[in-house]
Amino acid sequence: MATFVSPPASTTATQPTGLKPTVIEKEKVDYLNLPCPIPYEEIHREAFMSLKPELFEGLRFDFTKGLNPKFALSHSVLMGPTEIPSQSPETIKIPTAHYEFGANYLDPKLMLVGRIMTDGRLNARIKCDLSENLILKSSAQLTNEPHMSNVMASFDYKGKDYRSQFQLGSGALFGASYIQSVTPNVSLGGEVFWTGQHRKSGIGYGARYNNDKMVATGQVASTGMVLLSYVQKVSEKVSLASEFVYNHMSKDVTATFGYDYILRQCRLRGKIDSNGCVGALLEERLNLGLNFILSAEIDHRKKDYKFGFGMTVGE
Amino acid sequence: MSSARISGGVSLPDRGSSSKSGGGVISRMASSFSQSPVVYQGKRVASDAAFVTKKLLKSTGKAAWIAGTTFLVLIVPLIIEMDRDQQLSELELQHASLLGSSPSASGPQK
Repeated sequence: MATFVSPPASTTATQPTGLKPTVIEKEKVDYLNLPCPIPYEEIHREAFMSLKPELFEGLRFDFTKGLNPKFALSHSVLMGPTEIPSQSPETIKIPTAHYEFGANYLDPKLMLVGRIMTDGRLNARIKCDLSENLILKSSAQLTNEPHMSNVMASFDYKGKDYRSQFQLGSGALFGASYIQSVTPNVSLGGEVFWTGQHRKSGIGYGARYNNDKMVATGQVASTGMVLLSYVQKVSEKVSLASEFVYNHMSKDVTATFGYDYILRQCRLRGKIDSNGCVGALLEERLNLGLNFILSAEIDHRKKDYKFGFGMTVGE
Repeated sequence: MSSARISGGVSLPDRGSSSKSGGGVISRMASSFSQSPVVYQGKRVASDAAFVTKKLLKSTGKAAWIAGTTFLVLIVPLIIEMDRDQQLSELELQHASLLGSSPSASGPQK
């Protein structure tokens, strides 16, 4: 199993000290004062934010009303076709419509989020700061159908320049991960997991190189997955991202390229895939607290076209 | 004579062989001319060229459709939004210059 390490290029600014001796000298790296790294599950955070927007099909309407600085209620209506997995290559879509009611409680130390849908599904999330460095996160999904509910809890410990996490899940799922800052720009991490239900265990490694202008990450897992991503911040408003996924078990290779434009009145994300998928999501701010969303996804290979529009009212 | 093409399931049309027996001298001469090898080759080349051109046109059409719809989904909203952002910043610049110049313009009048 190969340990993936992204190229540790010399990141600290090497100024041409020969020309101007008064220029800032190369900063000495203080290895005892490294910054705290990003949590291991968010190692690909920038790439996922740009390349995996929440594309949807149909109508989406969200209304969030804050009753308190800490407490808010939300109502949400979704109408549109949903795909059901079918054995034949044709996609089967069934029109569905449901209403979702939710409540959020936000505190600096405690966060509670709950959502319930008209088809009987309940989503709940808790994030609690047990102490300054220990965080408990838990999420549950309960459904009407038997054997489809699951609960997951995780304990995160944040050290000075490392983070470690221990995860428990329903169905006898155990996982642990650890990530450490090696230099001010590079962090390396690893994870192990064990499922009791399928009797599977796995181990994975990840690495992340962070700069002011770009982020490069890589992840290898013993499930045969290799994920590489690169995000470049071209300017304050524009960033470009690319991702490469290789699955050794199913011999699946996917490359994705995308852009993310954050302008004053809108946010536009577009992506194009090597599977022949093109998608775009536009979130435009019409007024204070009023957002208009347009989503488009075209799959040229399967000839599957999905378009959606929606509005988000509230902060 | 018909030749079977493997790809695409398209095959050239079957050419029925015309009979030489019966008919007058003119019809026999005409049939011999129409069955001469040169004309036969010419016909085959022409139909092959038509076949290839049709396939090329179809694939160009498909490629143009894919490129067109992808451009419509990815690039057109981008152009529209960038144009709006530019208009907004121009407006702001105008406002800023207007507000900036008015106190200095009204100053020497007092």
